[in-house]
Amino acid sequence: MNKLKEMTMEQKNKLVLLIILAIISGFAIIGQGYLFVMIIDRIFLKDHSFSEITPLLVGLVAVLLTRTFFTFWSGRTGIKMASIVKGKLRQSLLNKFSNSPRQASMHGQSGQKVSVMMDTVDEIDSYYSSYLPQVIQSSVIPIMLLIVIFMEHWATGVIILVTAPFIPIFMMVIGFKTKDKSEEQFDKMAAFSGTFLDTLQGLTTLKLFGRSEQQRDKIRKSSLDFRDATMEVLKIAFSNSLALEFISMLSIGLVALEVAVRMIIFQDITFYTGFLMLILAPEFYTKLKDLGSAFHTGRTSMGAAKKLENELSEQEQAVEWGEASIPTNQPPSIELAGAGFSYESNGFAIENISTVIRPYEQVAIIGKTGAGKSTLLNMIAGLVSLKEGEMRINGEKRERISEKSWFDSLSYISQDPYLFSGTIADNIAIGSIEETTREEIIKAAEKAGLNKLIDTLEKGYDTPIGEAGRGISGGEKQRIAIARAFLKRPSIILFDEPTTGLDLQTEQILQSSIKELGENSTVITVAHRLYTVKNADKILLLDNGELRATGTHTDLLESDEMYRNMVHTQQGGKAE
Amino acid sequence: MKGLRTVILVLLKEKKDIVLSIICGFIAGITAVGLFSSSGYLISQAALAPPIYTLMVLVAVVKLLGIISALSRYGERYFSHRGTFTMLGNLRVSFYEKLEPLAPAIFQKYRSGDLLSRIVGDVETLQNYFLRVFYPPIVIVLVFLVTIFFTTFISIQTALILVLGLLLTTFVVPALFGYRQRKVDRKVRQRRGKLSTDVTEFLYGFRDLKIYQQVHDKEKDLLQSSNHYVEEQERESIHNLFSESVNTFISLLVSVTVLAVGAYLVTVGQLDGIFLALLVMISLTVFENTTAMAAYPSHLQDSRQAVARLDTVVNEEEPLQQNQTETMEQGIAPSIEFKNVHFSFPGETGDTLKNISLNLPAGSKTAIVGPSGSGKSTIMQLLLKIYPVGNGDIYFNNQSFLQATQESVWENANVVLQSNHFFYGTIRENLELAKDGLRDEEMKEILRNVELGHFDLDDQVLEKGENLSGGEKQRLAIARVLARKAPLWLLDEPTSSIDVLTESKLYERLFEVAKDDTVILISHRLTGLEKMDQIIVMEKGTIIESGTYEELMNQKGYFQQMKEIEKSVFLGE
Ligand SMILES: Nc1ncnc2c1ncn2[C@@H]1O[C@H](COP(=O)(O)OP(=O)(O)O)[C@@H](O)[C@H]1O
Ligand SMILES: Nc1ncnc2c1ncn2[C@@H]1O[C@H](COP(=O)(O)OP(=O)(O)O)[C@@H](O)[C@H]1O
Ligand SMILES: [Mg+2]
Ligand SMILES: [Mg+2]
Repeated sequence: MNKLKEMTMEQKNKLVLLIILAIISGFAIIGQGYLFVMIIDRIFLKDHSFSEITPLLVGLVAVLLTRTFFTFWSGRTGIKMASIVKGKLRQSLLNKFSNSPRQASMHGQSGQKVSVMMDTVDEIDSYYSSYLPQVIQSSVIPIMLLIVIFMEHWATGVIILVTAPFIPIFMMVIGFKTKDKSEEQFDKMAAFSGTFLDTLQGLTTLKLFGRSEQQRDKIRKSSLDFRDATMEVLKIAFSNSLALEFISMLSIGLVALEVAVRMIIFQDITFYTGFLMLILAPEFYTKLKDLGSAFHTGRTSMGAAKKLENELSEQEQAVEWGEASIPTNQPPSIELAGAGFSYESNGFAIENISTVIRPYEQVAIIGKTGAGKSTLLNMIAGLVSLKEGEMRINGEKRERISEKSWFDSLSYISQDPYLFSGTIADNIAIGSIEETTREEIIKAAEKAGLNKLIDTLEKGYDTPIGEAGRGISGGEKQRIAIARAFLKRPSIILFDEPTTGLDLQTEQILQSSIKELGENSTVITVAHRLYTVKNADKILLLDNGELRATGTHTDLLESDEMYRNMVHTQQGGKAE
Repeated sequence: MKGLRTVILVLLKEKKDIVLSIICGFIAGITAVGLFSSSGYLISQAALAPPIYTLMVLVAVVKLLGIISALSRYGERYFSHRGTFTMLGNLRVSFYEKLEPLAPAIFQKYRSGDLLSRIVGDVETLQNYFLRVFYPPIVIVLVFLVTIFFTTFISIQTALILVLGLLLTTFVVPALFGYRQRKVDRKVRQRRGKLSTDVTEFLYGFRDLKIYQQVHDKEKDLLQSSNHYVEEQERESIHNLFSESVNTFISLLVSVTVLAVGAYLVTVGQLDGIFLALLVMISLTVFENTTAMAAYPSHLQDSRQAVARLDTVVNEEEPLQQNQTETMEQGIAPSIEFKNVHFSFPGETGDTLKNISLNLPAGSKTAIVGPSGSGKSTIMQLLLKIYPVGNGDIYFNNQSFLQATQESVWENANVVLQSNHFFYGTIRENLELAKDGLRDEEMKEILRNVELGHFDLDDQVLEKGENLSGGEKQRLAIARVLARKAPLWLLDEPTSSIDVLTESKLYERLFEVAKDDTVILISHRLTGLEKMDQIIVMEKGTIIESGTYEELMNQKGYFQQMKEIEKSVFLGE
């Protein structure tokens, strides 16, 4: 809500414009009332001829034109304000999403975030396009009307003064309830999107387990929940309108009665005054009633704003970076000194890792599943901040290196690379931030052993893959990710199980390309296949988050029992 | 109303709400007209100082009409909204129901963010269909007809003007604006879809974008998509506002005309002056509701587009399993036979699988090996009827596969896919997918069996299992099928991210559990295959060798060569 006020204040000019427009509309409404009454009065009672009232008719048309035009302008101003605010809100949400560190980005369901980005922001629209203009009109015009009414017939003014305050009081009481309810409504909506997107992704799994019917019921339920939440909010709004309707009707009735009694029994006011009252009083209440429904929309928007504010204020600690750049002519040395990291959610911790990785070194990280290999790689890649110890690049603290220069010199093929919806060429090209030629892409694909596959495709490199594209096999996906690294030729390469799901032959092709890459860069590979490990200059053996042993194949074979065991099993023996 | 069949069908299920909305809307509209016209009449009467009881009656009528009007307005709103939101819920469910059989092939056509935007955004848009397109014109026309009928008793001329005004404001003006707008393409829905799709992909691919430093570029793109969307919304809102304003002005002009003509008639003595105020009040009130009609074509068009966007997704393809009615024999380990099976993926020119013939006896253990992309996973997909066989047939226990329902195949199978989905929730929820009524102890036991004993059933699983290590995901997938106890095991590289020590323990347990079952294991590793009954070697979509481990080694073909490579890579000094 503060956010909305703040963003409104940024557009003060438009706010002032809205006030001016409201005043002009007010005059038009009053003029319209006077002209209608004058014409009828002159014809009905004063026996004027038709030509005498013609100028009045022309005036009436002019006033009506003014009224509609300025109402339109005011609405248009509101719509423009809404556009600006929506744009800004989306920008800050995006900003927030893109600056969050890796773990934070995974929290919650993506569908929920999409819903916040789309639906919740859209909901802000009506705050500006209808609530704000209406609030301004409803605060300016009734006062103008009241002044005129008092000037013409004070008794009506008094009746209005007595009854009118009930309306805003009523609205406020009800409006506050709406806000909580509408926040709930947005939560339900986001939850629906979250469930739906997750379901889509896992639809095959659900079907295989015979669960799609259950899931349908779930979707029905969350959809009905959403309906009920919406109806809750609407019911409040409708009874709100009903109450306002009754209040205004009662008041108009009183006005009419008083006017009639004065005209018939006391005969101290004229038809002209009486009719004017009967036209202006409803205008007065209509404006207040409009405020009532606008108030409801406004509250709903405020609920949305609150949700956005919560989303934006969840501050996460971004990974810290500095300014220093790393030389590009050779890979930097990477030093971990007592480095540690832990996940908050489950307490898994990597502790006290100390090692030095020299330029051009080929390092293998091995360990049982869940030992923390990928986590260690994330630490080295700078995707998470260390919780203890430090990491030094060429002797400089990682926090002082510039993010750009670090990621410029690094490629990281993660365990589960994401294929973007686009062509094969696009998906490889994403590896490099520079413009790449088709030749370079083809070369990279060849090194990754993809050329044979691509040759068989009708559209070759322009075959769409990823979502809404052609399906590919697991190993092919892996190789596309690897091609990204071949394209970039970075000085540090991190591979997380690069050959998972690849057969030996394909792997052999890859191994020679990887070897070639290694001539110009430091390569750190997570591997569970020992044969990729054997030629490493250094092996880091992780066990349950700790660095159990470091050394070459021969060293470890001699000194570490776990390693011996792994080698033995890999060779076809049985595990102990 | 062509193109809107889908919504109308769903909508008509809420008949009661529709009828009630129309009735309430009519009463509210007509009583409002009555209320204002009688107050105009009241004041005119008062000017002539009539007997007091006339006045009392009039005042009472005004009050009564007012109360009825307010109550029916409430009813109209309540019923129309309830009907609408129930309809939206039903639409969502029916969309999901139609979408479900199309998976997974549908994902090669549509992106998930796009589908999300359709089921949320487009369905949401359809609320305007009922609230602004379907019933309001009925109510407006009814109210008008009655009002005009009533007016003819007072002044035929005024009644004619009202008819003219009705035609202008509810047909001519909306049609003109509708026509003008049809020329400019309406893009709000598409823009929204694009933004939603892009945001979804941005979130899914965030890590890769981060690593490749594309986050900021993508962010800029997204911002642009967002701005395009907002611009388009703005254009449309202003257009609607403008047409509404024009319509308001025209309806006010009609009231001025009523006044002018009435005044003229009074001066020439054809109308009693006492009715002048009444006629003007009638006109002002009855046209209040027509303003919204200006946006009618816009909403109609919007609804059409939304329905079309929903329909294109689900109507494109007929789901596979038409006239597949037979169920497969359940609960026993099947024998499996492929007879000259050919297969190509939809839209592909070449055959992915060529002339595959296999014979796997009941209870046998088979391994499928071969280079990446040789068609191993495709064989699995055929066995699961995810895609229909192109040529040839598959037999389970000598029963042809063609007529069998997908469900009866799945019910019998324990499947671990090459990449498995985990849902946002807890470990328990993800395990419970496998089977109803699993007890906690059972689940814990299973977790221990896959070396996940350190997990608690209430541990959180993030979307797509993002907080699990690659090996943990695979083990959890194995745990799911262990809980299921079906007699056919289809395992697609289930342990590719698991270290050898853990892997061999897992296989030992797995084969113990599955000792009487039929097992097909796709593997890229050649160690540990000695005990398999049959090893099938694939290359480029065909079977190039098959036999037991010994047979293949003696054959000195592809398998034996690979085995040599494996040894040399590892041992070669
Ligand atoms: N984002 C995360 N949040 C919480 N826990 C995680 C997350 N990612 C991984 N873990 C946990 O950390 C441990 C190590 O995971 P990981 O480093 O991926 O193992 P691996 O050695 O198999 O690559 C596992 O127990 C895993 O459950
Ligand atoms: N959905 C699909 N549409 C078109 N081609 C596909 C699809 N899925 C896989 N393919 C292609 O079919 C071939 C076999 O794939 P697959 O059976 O997954 O191989 P693998 O033996 O590695 O499991 C590959 O060349 C792959 O590109
Ligand atoms: Mg890992
Ligand atoms: Mg595969």
